[in-house]
Amino acid sequence: MISTFFDHELKAFWRSKNTGKSIAVKVVMGVLILILFLYVLLFGVLLDEILGAMFPEENLTIAFCGIILVYFLSDLLMRMQLQELPTLKVQPYLHLPVKRNSVVGYLALTALLSFFNLWPIIILGPFIIKVILPASGAGVTVAFIISIIALALFNNYLALYIKRKANLNGWIFLIAGGILALITCGDYLWHIYSLKAISYLFFGNLILKPYLVLLPIVLAVAIYYVNFYYLKGNLYLEELSSKKEDAKSSTEIPFLGRFGQVGDLVANEVKLILRNKRPRSALIMGLLFMFYGLIFYTNPKMGEGFKVFVGMFMTGIFIINYGQFMFSWQAGHFDGILVSKVKFTDFLKAKYLLFNIVSTVAFILTTPYVYFGWRTVMIHFVMYLWNLGINTTIVLYFANRNYKRIDLSKGASFNWEGVGASQLLLSFPLILFPYLVYLPFKYLGYTDAGLAVLAVIGVAFIITRDFWIKKLDQDFQTKRFKIAEGFRNK
Amino acid sequence: MIEIKDLKKVYNGLTVVNVPYLQINKGESIGLVGNNGAGKTTLFRMILDLIRADKGEVLSNGINVAGGETWKNYTAAYLDEGFLIDYLTPEEYFYFIGGLHNQNKAQVDEKLASLSEFFNGEIIKKSKYIRDLSKGNQCKVGVGTCLLQQPELLMLDEPFANIDPSTQFRLKNILKDQNKNHGVTTIVSSHDLNHVTDVCDRILLMEKGVVIKDMATSSSTLTELEEYFGVGQSIASYTVNPEENH
Repeated sequence: MISTFFDHELKAFWRSKNTGKSIAVKVVMGVLILILFLYVLLFGVLLDEILGAMFPEENLTIAFCGIILVYFLSDLLMRMQLQELPTLKVQPYLHLPVKRNSVVGYLALTALLSFFNLWPIIILGPFIIKVILPASGAGVTVAFIISIIALALFNNYLALYIKRKANLNGWIFLIAGGILALITCGDYLWHIYSLKAISYLFFGNLILKPYLVLLPIVLAVAIYYVNFYYLKGNLYLEELSSKKEDAKSSTEIPFLGRFGQVGDLVANEVKLILRNKRPRSALIMGLLFMFYGLIFYTNPKMGEGFKVFVGMFMTGIFIINYGQFMFSWQAGHFDGILVSKVKFTDFLKAKYLLFNIVSTVAFILTTPYVYFGWRTVMIHFVMYLWNLGINTTIVLYFANRNYKRIDLSKGASFNWEGVGASQLLLSFPLILFPYLVYLPFKYLGYTDAGLAVLAVIGVAFIITRDFWIKKLDQDFQTKRFKIAEGFRNK
Repeated sequence: MIEIKDLKKVYNGLTVVNVPYLQINKGESIGLVGNNGAGKTTLFRMILDLIRADKGEVLSNGINVAGGETWKNYTAAYLDEGFLIDYLTPEEYFYFIGGLHNQNKAQVDEKLASLSEFFNGEIIKKSKYIRDLSKGNQCKVGVGTCLLQQPELLMLDEPFANIDPSTQFRLKNILKDQNKNHGVTTIVSSHDLNHVTDVCDRILLMEKGVVIKDMATSSSTLTELEEYFGVGQSIASYTVNPEENH
């Protein structure tokens, strides 16, 4: 039975619309995933060097044993945030004469097919083979690897168990998060105990007494069965799904009222963003990007050219991150929009207004970077103008070429739905254009002139926006049947 | 009201809609029937300019709908859930659509109050997003939105399919009222022959993209349609044999 399930699972993967129809897209995606994989692998292979640099006075093995538990703690936190519950897929089997045990077993097994279960092995595995194998022999190495796998499984099922519980009662999630926060604070803030010491206590002893490997195995098996029996007892749709039923209220955004019909459209789109998982995470990602500058600006080696780049991303991340999937966000009701009395030029104006508002907020949020000098804020402002002028128009130009539907109800992590060639093509002009303008001036020694030209071009595009809206509208009219048809393809 | 000339749509070599000429006059109530794949929804979509016609044109009040905007002022349609903005509450959606037709909140509320019987207390103030409503209630929202717009042309694709019997009765009365008392031209498709013959004055029967019958509703229409759809099933077998009826 389980093999039939896996067969269906594979078919679901290959036949799903969002796996991507064109081979080119698949190849590029494959390459991207491979690059990410190689980076993580490289990190794992170089872990001994990195640890040596981080803790120069400590023994490598002690340092390594110390970080394992810390790693798994952050791993658990990540899983609770990002890992998806493999659930609704079983809906078509629930009413059939299939044993509950096989359905639940299938659910538990598919939960293993997560990228999260790969990371610990890639990151920690190479170190074990490079350092522990020569020093302590094969027996200890096997014990280590089994412990790592067992802890990964423990985390896997614990995170899913917490998430399932949290579906029924939102407080569980807060409590679990609170406990994790307390554990972290206990070490780093209050210094009651040291996670590194606890971690070393176990893994250090594991080197001497390899039979201790039984402990993580017992933990993993125990949590597997807790999860298994919990699922078996709660195999009902409303408890499996990640939908929460609470009262929804109508909201108004008075500020947008003054923009008339265009304002109404923006209000709808704001609701779209806040009430759906994937666009909401696009927005939250954008907020996290506000810290992007801290990575670059604290490093004195990074010159001003980087500020142009970083400034563009910080003030325009929403335009890029959310805009690249336009108008797919509205795929679910695109027919309704086309038939309704909304003029497409108004529709475009609403997009511009939305970008204006969010970018302005983002610019205001980046003003604390004045700490790195007024010039930094000035560069941010120039790139803010550039974003409003050029990048909005580029994004909307590519939106006219985007025919992929997005299902708003699905989560964002590892969701390739709606990703197509247009997103990949879009990134080239977004990243290259500002440098095409700025770099020639920079190498001639006129950086100020370069910035000024960027600002002037940005302002020029903002002033001539009506013209671009007209052009985009004409462009859209030639493509709208194709767009609408693509969006209807579930 | 609607004039269709030489309209054709072909998918992968298969003609899904082929209407040489069709005129729908103002104030008519049209019922569109036909088996699955007859081209009803495609025809609806072409009238609403959602699909590009391979050939021919659809004129609404004498103006080609393709690329036009004016027809949107007097046309209201609900084909499927794809017409609803499902992350809004019904109220938000009604106010939005009302706003597009320059109605303020009070005016929208007034219209909604007149629909309260049709909504049967399941739409307004339920604290739910449209996506969390059942299909039948989503249909009520769709039909409600259409009526809110006070259209001259009302198009509904299988509105009876998901709604409960009471709502079916109410919807039939609403359609009759709109047509008879407000002069609204209605085009309704349905698989339920009783409903269409009840509501519509003129029935269009489609098969493989072609309108094969165009008839005014009379007492014999229902039997005629049943004969067409009941292919191979002899209705005679249901008549009681007088020999056995002692």
